Amino acid sequence: MEFWKDETEPIKAFIELFNRAKQDAELYEGLKKVNQLIWFDYTEDGPNCSFFVDCRGGEVRVSPGKPSDQPNLIMSLSADDAHRSWSNKLNPVMAITRRKIRVKGSATGLLKLAPKLKKVAIIYNDTLKDLGWENKIIP
Amino acid sequence: MKGSTGHFLYVDLSDGLTNSFCPPIDYYSRFIGGSGFAARLFVERGNFEADPLDPEALLTFSLGPFAGLNLSGASRFSAAACSPLTGHWADSSCGGNFAPELKFAGFDGILVSGKAKKPSVLVISDHTAKIETYPELWGLGVEKATATLKQKFGKASKTLVIGPAGENLVKFACIMNDGHSAFGRTGLGAVMGSKGLKAIVVRAKDRNFLAEDPMACRKLVSELNSRIKESVTLSVMRENGTAANLEGGVHLGDVPIRNFTSNFWEEMAEALTGSTLSEKYLKRRANCDFCSVACKRIVEITQGPFAIPKGPGPEYETIVSFGSLIGSMDLAATCKAGRICNDLGMDTISSGATIAWALEAFENGDIGVKECDGIQLKWGDINTIIDHILPSIAYKKGNLGSLLSDGSVAAAKKIGPSSQDYNVQAKGLEAPMHDPRGGGHGLALTYAVSHRGACHVSSPMLFMEMGACYYPEVGFDYELDPLSSENKAESAVLAMALGALENSACLCQFADREISIPEWVALFNSVAGFNWDIHDMIKAGRRIFYLQRLMNHRYGLRAEDDKISSRLLTPAVDGAPAGIVIEFEKMRTKFYNLMDLNPETGIPSRKTLVDYNLEIEADIILKG
Ligand code: SF4
Repeated sequence: MEFWKDETEPIKAFIELFNRAKQDAELYEGLKKVNQLIWFDYTEDGPNCSFFVDCRGGEVRVSPGKPSDQPNLIMSLSADDAHRSWSNKLNPVMAITRRKIRVKGSATGLLKLAPKLKKVAIIYNDTLKDLGWENKIIP
Repeated sequence: MKGSTGHFLYVDLSDGLTNSFCPPIDYYSRFIGGSGFAARLFVERGNFEADPLDPEALLTFSLGPFAGLNLSGASRFSAAACSPLTGHWADSSCGGNFAPELKFAGFDGILVSGKAKKPSVLVISDHTAKIETYPELWGLGVEKATATLKQKFGKASKTLVIGPAGENLVKFACIMNDGHSAFGRTGLGAVMGSKGLKAIVVRAKDRNFLAEDPMACRKLVSELNSRIKESVTLSVMRENGTAANLEGGVHLGDVPIRNFTSNFWEEMAEALTGSTLSEKYLKRRANCDFCSVACKRIVEITQGPFAIPKGPGPEYETIVSFGSLIGSMDLAATCKAGRICNDLGMDTISSGATIAWALEAFENGDIGVKECDGIQLKWGDINTIIDHILPSIAYKKGNLGSLLSDGSVAAAKKIGPSSQDYNVQAKGLEAPMHDPRGGGHGLALTYAVSHRGACHVSSPMLFMEMGACYYPEVGFDYELDPLSSENKAESAVLAMALGALENSACLCQFADREISIPEWVALFNSVAGFNWDIHDMIKAGRRIFYLQRLMNHRYGLRAEDDKISSRLLTPAVDGAPAGIVIEFEKMRTKFYNLMDLNPETGIPSRKTLVDYNLEIEADIILKG
């Protein structure tokens, strides 16, 4: 991995990102509207390198690992590309076309969040800073 | 030769005669079908001097080799002629269900010439055709005329019908297939209307499709169909239609607002996007024959001023044309406006764009209530558009109807030079609903160099800039930045060849994003037996691009006509692309160099014409 020391680091950063995004009213509403169980699968970088976001039932819950329920959407990619993506430095369409991101299930809900990626990136960079990982921020 | 039937139908409406002919066999591998084949047939049989609406004008419908193949995206076909809207060579592409039926009936296409003495219908069934006079259909809207034809010729028959706009020679009249799919662009409905041909009906008994290598073809088609069905981007389109990413497009600055004067309108994004249409009005999804993507919408609006019964719903272009472009974010209204345009038989893009031009002209005082038959034109006033302006255009009623029925470019010419500043077009064709300033600078170039004018489906440039194309086998592995000119000329060289291939093979630009370049070659070889390698295939695409340029040269277009309206090159005032300059001349000059196009004539050198085996065609075209 180019950005991460081990498989725990990216999961720590991404879970913190989602917990902070939940504090933002607009993003929280947007996530609730997705109304799906999404598994972010980075297991190509380690068996425990994944987390899930459960946006079903008007709530948003974030946890490490694979969900016990069948996810509605699985996004499989490397932890490095996930870092680029949350930093808004990876064109998701391009990444899907080049099979850097493999998607199973309906991505319609997530597509609605695409315009919010700029805002997510700002929160993500703040998260990295607060976690003491300023050096990981992509300029 | 497989994939195609080897037969075209020739119809002379003046004499009431139909016969079938076999085009030279080499046309199939050199010009493929669809757009390319229609162009080559015109060079052989058409008259460059004929006015587009004269009886002598030739209207061609042309299939690709894959029509009838059970492949998602393969059921499109082309119509082509000299456009009454632009005055030069043009074609239009339509999905739906007519193309496979025509192939099964034994024809690769139809050439229509002459003018019927009485309104007529061309009826095609298994290898035969006849012209039937049918005056009682004349004057009917597309919906009623289609239903009447289905009643007479059977529910399973497939139809091409023009509406009142085509009959009245509105220069952006379209041709509708079974009331839902359209040959929308460039006014070919008016050409059909000028011939007194209200409709074409086809019915075939057989369902046989003969491929060169049936085993290889079956295997490839099955692989491609599964991939298309599982594709994440296409499943988003299945779910929410072609407007699925309208909201994202607004944030990129791709979606035009109030005649391209703004590139950002936040509340409109969610109001008009595809998921909102699904939530509020979608009844079911519909598809072109054999296509699993099913991006078409069937909608119903049960109450309110825009209530419409269950039927065809709008796609992205219609939603924007009658939404943000005219300053409205009423989604129900776009459904109704689209339905009315379909019934009147008018291109929704040129209709919306011409009306948007009129709204701005009124705001600027270039036209007043006198020219508008006493009505005030206002941004967002969709009621007036639906109740008054659309019917006025279709029936050429009043001052406003006659002013707008020839399109925005002709209208601006009549009104005066200041109103030409806000015509948004290339080569006389109103721009579609993708603004190059936000959608991608390469689009500005491909709008300008496309033979038909500002057209987003003449090439896959929009998809290339979006990141949806990856063709390393032909050197396209760029990670393009939409808001820059970098690598855009190089990309456009490939885009124009691929666009010519898509429009000649008649494959849908959505579905075929899942087909790799080697698979394209394998498809041509296993179906049509072309025995191509990648180089041969790209060469065929470029040959068609050059042929159509030669034709437009004969129609008087030169390098200086490869341009787009200044509005699209003026930096955006808001949204993501605000202040960014499109380096248009730089891209265009490079494109010209890479394509060996003469900077004055706009056509390639003799050497290039020889390299692309176009000497014979060039001699015929240029000698006039
Ligand atoms: S993707 Fe849509 S337009 Fe294209 S062939 Fe399929 S149904 Fe028709």
